[in-house]
Amino acid sequence: MDGEARIIRRSLDFVYDFAAWLSALCLVAILVVITAQVVARWMGIPFHGSNEYAGYFMAAASFLAFAHTLNRGAHIRVGLLLNALGGRRFWGELWSLAIASAASTYLAWYAVKMVYWSWRLNDVSQGQDVTPLWIAQTPMAVGAVILAILLIDNLVTLLVTGRDNIRDGLAEQSHAE
Amino acid sequence: ASAEKWDMPMAYPATNFHSENAAAFAKCVGEGTGGTLEIVTHAGGSLFGGNDIKRAVQTGQAPIGERLLSAHANENPLYGIDSIPFLATSFDASEKLWAAASDKLKTALDAENLVYVYAVPWPAQGLYMKKDVNSVADLKGVKFRSYNAATARIAELAGMAPVQIEAAELSQALATGVVESFISSGATGVDSKVWEQLTHFYDVQAWLPRNVVFVNKDAWTALDDASKTAITTCGEKAAADGLAKVKELSGGYLKTLEENGMKVSPPSEQLAKELEGFGQTMTDEWLKSAGDDGKAIIEAYRAN
Amino acid sequence: MEPFYAIGIFLFVLFLLLGSGVWIGLALLGVAYVGMEMFTSRPAGDAMMTVIWRSSSSWSLTALPMFIWMGEILYRTRLSEDMFKGLAPWMGRLPGGLLHTNVAGCTIFAAVSGSSAATLTTVGKMTIPELRKRNYPERLTIGTLAGAATLGLMIPPSLTLIVYGVAINESITKLFIAGVIPGLVLATLFMCYVVTASMVSKDYNPAAEPTLPFWDKVKRSRFLVPVLLLITAVIGSMYLGVATATEAAAIGVIGSLALAAAQGALTAGNFFESLMGATRTSAMIALILAGAAFLSLSMGFTGLPRALAEWIASIELSRFELLMVLLVFYIILGCFLDGISVVVLTIAIVEPMIRQVGIDIIWFGIFIVVVVEMAQITPPIGFNLFVLQGMTGHSMGFIARAAFPMFLIMMLMVLILIAFPELATWLPNNMRQAR
Ligand code: NA
Ligand code: NA
Repeated sequence: MDGEARIIRRSLDFVYDFAAWLSALCLVAILVVITAQVVARWMGIPFHGSNEYAGYFMAAASFLAFAHTLNRGAHIRVGLLLNALGGRRFWGELWSLAIASAASTYLAWYAVKMVYWSWRLNDVSQGQDVTPLWIAQTPMAVGAVILAILLIDNLVTLLVTGRDNIRDGLAEQSHAE
Repeated sequence: ASAEKWDMPMAYPATNFHSENAAAFAKCVGEGTGGTLEIVTHAGGSLFGGNDIKRAVQTGQAPIGERLLSAHANENPLYGIDSIPFLATSFDASEKLWAAASDKLKTALDAENLVYVYAVPWPAQGLYMKKDVNSVADLKGVKFRSYNAATARIAELAGMAPVQIEAAELSQALATGVVESFISSGATGVDSKVWEQLTHFYDVQAWLPRNVVFVNKDAWTALDDASKTAITTCGEKAAADGLAKVKELSGGYLKTLEENGMKVSPPSEQLAKELEGFGQTMTDEWLKSAGDDGKAIIEAYRAN
Repeated sequence: MEPFYAIGIFLFVLFLLLGSGVWIGLALLGVAYVGMEMFTSRPAGDAMMTVIWRSSSSWSLTALPMFIWMGEILYRTRLSEDMFKGLAPWMGRLPGGLLHTNVAGCTIFAAVSGSSAATLTTVGKMTIPELRKRNYPERLTIGTLAGAATLGLMIPPSLTLIVYGVAINESITKLFIAGVIPGLVLATLFMCYVVTASMVSKDYNPAAEPTLPFWDKVKRSRFLVPVLLLITAVIGSMYLGVATATEAAAIGVIGSLALAAAQGALTAGNFFESLMGATRTSAMIALILAGAAFLSLSMGFTGLPRALAEWIASIELSRFELLMVLLVFYIILGCFLDGISVVVLTIAIVEPMIRQVGIDIIWFGIFIVVVVEMAQITPPIGFNLFVLQGMTGHSMGFIARAAFPMFLIMMLMVLILIAFPELATWLPNNMRQAR
């Protein structure tokens, strides 16, 4: 691998992981918001918009971690056919990466469009927080774009080197079940 | 024109009177256009949830929809005209207020790519309590469910302790004493069997929020005149039928509450007067945000 | 016959994308897109984002990462060793002996973990070596563990029930409380099986346990105190209504962190690992939920769920017949899909049917959970089988055969639930009326 390619590889991997760290911070933020909500209730202090804030952090936590999660093999897929392909697995991986790249690019495009229109139309939350929605939705769009980049990255890597960067993560996948 | 199908997202269950009324409206439009325009209602948030219906219709994701308009008061204070507590506290007053606001509301909706069709009020909001209340002083310190800015402000004015509870968690919160009081319609009380926890219902008729049906402006413009007429006529009919229905139901809900052992009564003279005072305060506050249009509406309403 | 034409299209694209290994969430997006393009002229992408944003930013969904995180923290503590130490003295002399620690351990850990696989790994990492040391038949060890671990999904907290509750927009707290009694009944059935198997099995010949005086047993039970405190805090706060499911989850995370700190297991590394683990797992579920939200919108536009519900009503299936049809359908689905995908894929279609024939939607949640539990141990795709394969090195076939009796017990549980629906409905109804 020449130097330039290595720099691109490193920067991309850094972006995926950095987004995941932000996502982890969002989980901590959810914990803080919910705890504050409980404490505020005990003390009889109103905490307006706590549910909405927890929801925004939830969306941000999910979307920002999509890419990292995929590379770690933690997103669930049905691997029966891929395994059955044996030596021709390359073609199966190529097909599913192509579909996934298309789907995630579509998602990213419309996620960005949604943020743009929320901003243009001055859309605000219907809750007591009255947050401008484009602010709440931006992490989602960023996460969707990173996911699309990751899938295209893997598609290109597969075509160039014959294998992608996605780890085998059956153990990771099981955690959700 | 060839036959067209319009999907109509709605937030409330199919058995709710708003949903039944809208289904009748859809049928009326189908018949009125001789089948060239078919409206298919999707109740219970099965297409878009309540929060999303307005935006969905604005942007053409759905051609027509129904929404509790006051939920969008954050976007434009005018949308909250029907939900200023203790401003219009009877069906007649509510109709008057709506008539005074109609033109301005239609203009505001039009600016958002929406064409107003019809609106039907919910039963009036009453005060659920666990004890006798004769004046605002009796409300002090009571744990009161707040779920939006207006209910939070009421709690503040009355010196109640606001507790933020989602609708889905309300009955549990009541059961365990996390809240002891809330404001809602008689229908909510019947649906959640509130008599298992609370004892009093004061029919203070705090406000009568409305569900509004609107059409995407582009979809509207593309219609032929016959279809537009059908929608307008059926909309007028739906507004009248819906109002008659809700009046009939309101009495029924209160009767059910009473039959299940709740004490249902109008507020005492003193309480009513003090609540009216809140109404004055909150109307003034609303006017500050609603500008000249709001002022014009309130003046027109009070002039009548 | 338009709806049936729609079914055909949906099923074809669904099988094509899922079967060829496209990640499930993205595959659902693809299927939904095809449905939107074919059946409505509405702008598919914008509508997609409307429902995805709504479902992803849902407040009730925040219970999900919190409960996952809690499990991740507890996995990194000494909890499973402590549980074994506390339970073993009581179980040693029972017919079936320490095999009961599998069931009891899973039952207890299920009350702090929302996942079946997490329950399996946490309990199994302790009981498998201990049981092997004492010469218990491997088949029974593996089988009971695979089955009992699925209690992680039924006894609250439960990731499956959170996903179900969010999908049908019902109180998650209520669903959680509904799972308590059926979970205990199922645990009892597993224990009965352990007793019977120990008497029938020819290979059952474990090393005898030393007898401990009663007070020593009681003293050893102190190891159970921390976990019981945690369970009381989490489930108790929900049952008493002082906390919603989400808030109980936050209490659980803080409690687990405290427990880990008390054991000296709360290192920076452990904290970071547990957090990243929770981040990935909840993102994985969130992607499926995002795809499912779009798919359910797309199906709404086709009118398919409503048409099917009306069709079911028109052929006048009895409740029992409908449930049996659904049971078979779910068992087949469960062979090839994970539980969460099964729930989100079917709920848009099944919910109208269930409501139509008047089946209690909370009760149905528990029904679904049993079925999803079965899916955990049926090949070729069964996550408990995968996990056990990783832990023990046995073949899938061996583990699946060992777990098969548990599958039958869960079938029995379904029938019991149908015969006595109060098992699932009594507690949540009672909770509401409590003063
Ligand atoms: Na559990
Ligand atoms: Na399976």
